[in-house]
Amino acid sequence: MRRSLPWVALALAAVLSGCAAGGDETSPPPLRGPRYFGSVRPPHGDVLRFINGAEPETIDPALVSGEPEGRLARALFEGLATTDPRTLEPRPGQAARWETSADGLRWTFHLRPGLVWSDGPPLTARDFVWSWLRALSPATAARNAGLLHAIAGAEDFNRGVTSDPATVGLTAPDDTTLVVRLAHPVPYLLHLTAYPTLLPVPRHAVKRWGDAWTRPGHLVSNGAFVLARWRQNQSYELTRNPRYRDAARVRLERVVAYSVEDLNTAANLYKAGRVDWNTSGYVPSPFVPRLRADADFRSAPYQAVYFYSMNVKRPPFDDVRVRRALNLAVDREAIARDLLKGTRAPWGRLTPQGYPGYPAPPPLRHDPADARAWLARAGYPGGKGFPRISILFSTSEDHRRIAEAIQAMWTRTLGIPVALRNMEWGSTLQAMTALDYDVARRSWIGDYLDPGTFLEIMRSGDGNNRTGWSDPRYDRLLLAARGERDPARRLRLLGEAEALLLADGPVIPIYHYSTTELVKPYVRGLWPNALDTHPLRDVWIDHAWRPGRRNAGGPAADPEERP
Amino acid sequence: MTRYVVRRLLLFVPTLWVIATLTFLLMRLAPGGPFNAEREIPPAARAALAQKYGLDRPLAAQYATFLVRAARLDFGPSYKFPTREVREIIVEGFRVSAELGGWALLVALLVGIPLGVIAALRQNTLADTAVMAAALAGVSIPNFVLGPLLVLAFSLGLFWLPPALWEGPQSRVLPVLTLAAAYVAYVARLTRAGMLEVLRQDFIRTARAKGLPERVVVLKHALRLGLLPVVSYLGPAAAAVIMGSLVVEQVFAVPGLGRYLVNGAFNRDYTLVMGVVLFYAAFLMALNLLVDLAYAWLDPRVELK
Repeated sequence: MRRSLPWVALALAAVLSGCAAGGDETSPPPLRGPRYFGSVRPPHGDVLRFINGAEPETIDPALVSGEPEGRLARALFEGLATTDPRTLEPRPGQAARWETSADGLRWTFHLRPGLVWSDGPPLTARDFVWSWLRALSPATAARNAGLLHAIAGAEDFNRGVTSDPATVGLTAPDDTTLVVRLAHPVPYLLHLTAYPTLLPVPRHAVKRWGDAWTRPGHLVSNGAFVLARWRQNQSYELTRNPRYRDAARVRLERVVAYSVEDLNTAANLYKAGRVDWNTSGYVPSPFVPRLRADADFRSAPYQAVYFYSMNVKRPPFDDVRVRRALNLAVDREAIARDLLKGTRAPWGRLTPQGYPGYPAPPPLRHDPADARAWLARAGYPGGKGFPRISILFSTSEDHRRIAEAIQAMWTRTLGIPVALRNMEWGSTLQAMTALDYDVARRSWIGDYLDPGTFLEIMRSGDGNNRTGWSDPRYDRLLLAARGERDPARRLRLLGEAEALLLADGPVIPIYHYSTTELVKPYVRGLWPNALDTHPLRDVWIDHAWRPGRRNAGGPAADPEERP
Repeated sequence: MTRYVVRRLLLFVPTLWVIATLTFLLMRLAPGGPFNAEREIPPAARAALAQKYGLDRPLAAQYATFLVRAARLDFGPSYKFPTREVREIIVEGFRVSAELGGWALLVALLVGIPLGVIAALRQNTLADTAVMAAALAGVSIPNFVLGPLLVLAFSLGLFWLPPALWEGPQSRVLPVLTLAAAYVAYVARLTRAGMLEVLRQDFIRTARAKGLPERVVVLKHALRLGLLPVVSYLGPAAAAVIMGSLVVEQVFAVPGLGRYLVNGAFNRDYTLVMGVVLFYAAFLMALNLLVDLAYAWLDPRVELK
């Protein structure tokens, strides 16, 4: 039954495309002006309704690790810096300004005067110290506590080596000053301060309610919105926080985040005008080629890469020549063009595009002759004697099709036997973590705009490495980059590390993700960006927007427009 | 009668214990655990989580604690939703599933029984064939096809009803109809078969011979016995309609309990799965008991021992 669902989606897509022109709320065909996938009647009032994806696991910023959770946490709480919705540049948030010492190891943040929590008490620098220590405390078990490890002493505190908070480089000399001492320079520290894990949480509410502090009625926040209502597996409703430091500039009165996971359901809700925004990914992929002609569909490069990894603890993947041969035999262009219908860009690197100043190494290429040569050098001419290998992937129609394509490429180009191994997601993860696989489907999403967020996962022994690959040269380059104070030289070191990873390492990059969003034309202030981060405080509903505006002063009725 | 009920209720205990034990073992046999994530959890955090949920203790001790707490209907916090108790999730989700299923069952009976009666009274006429053909279609079309088709027509074509979500009376219409369709059909077929059998019996002929109006013959004498198959189907149907609404919940984004069972198993959310499985098991057994009681009440020949 599960397998046939995509066919229903396809059938539905076909019918939808046929009826798009029939609905009285859809606009005319492309020749006459923009065409829209969904109904384009703005909602009453200043409310934004959107598809937030899977049901949020928690909205406690310290515990947040997924995107639906992160969207809510960022709307409710504000960190020291916030992100510019267009450029992703850090801009002052709870902190009005900051300065850093010459060696880049000491940061001083100056909070705005008069900051308060949504229930009234003042918010001080001590709240930040307490919140960050809470995120680092082993008892909190924050999955992303590692983002704070650059702070002096933070890693030991997080690992339980010491339980003395005074050993962590965080101090609040007065109510509005926060001093952060780092173990090594972190050029992207300001980006990190906008990340959920580093958002401040209300000590008084957490103390009073314990785990239940995130419920409506208990939750106290400091961002543009407060939590008004929560319906299990259905929606989170936020309303404007009148005590927000910049409340006058927040134009949305209400935000409704729907917990809808099914892609077709999400598309239906958008089309029928029940929601104004389908966040990235909540568009059925078979719809995408058709949607590209619609003015309310939006796609932009996203900081994430789809790749295969090889288990180097298992022969024959312990041989770098075999890894090269397998890499050279993959035709990324064909996968992106024929299988993905151009909805994703082929990609030959582990780091995604869009890091200013990063000297990215040349991408891996497709070269069947060279692939055969490397395989022969490894002792398997024409694939003779090569053991049967398998590709592990979690259940998904797309993963299967790509795995089948790569299976065919390897068999045809190299003459080696390749099997497919499909498991449910939890079992796939377990197999990857236990290094119980040959080749596995992976993906990685960047946390902040820096190549380090991708390259660090392949460091020796990193929990996310999951390949058994370890190269002291690679580790040394990453370590050198970590201690490097000159940003340009640091990026050069990272570039060298990636070149080494691509030449010798265990990864086969396949494609670069892109965002796929549906946004109503009357929603303003939602800009596409590489992190897919959209501060809701900048969003507003343009009630003056009219689909027929271009007709103003023109003919009374458009002949193409059906009644 | 009372003794019968008490005995049945006592039998619940060993049955639930077996189910609980099997589920517990099966969950632990599945590869991976609740804290596996694409992004690896740091060892310190993993240890803290294991301690919080008692996973650092021997399996036997975990099992014992689980049984003791389950007996008090306490399953602890969910793994996936760490700030929520499994009990709350079940109560909240079941409220919605029960409402959806209740409406669907009501529609099935209110539409299915009259259709079945009409078909039986007009056996082998055009009306009969039409009803039975419609019933066949209703049983055959899976709800993951019917749901999207209804959405296409009423939400995206006519803009009459919301295509999904559980907000206000209008949002109930399409999920209830989708879920009810197969049961309408089934109830109609059962009613027709039951009525046909009863209508041929001697006491009906006697009733007609006495000159009773046809309305009284059918509604008072025939229907009561003719509905017996429907009644015995009611238990499984109620269970299926409330517990089997998973696909409808998915298609219409209805916040019911069904999705938690499936996702809970995928996520290795031990506590949530245990809670939902035991709840469903107890619910099913209670329904079966109710059906047996109703059967005895409707048919004097049935004796409860």
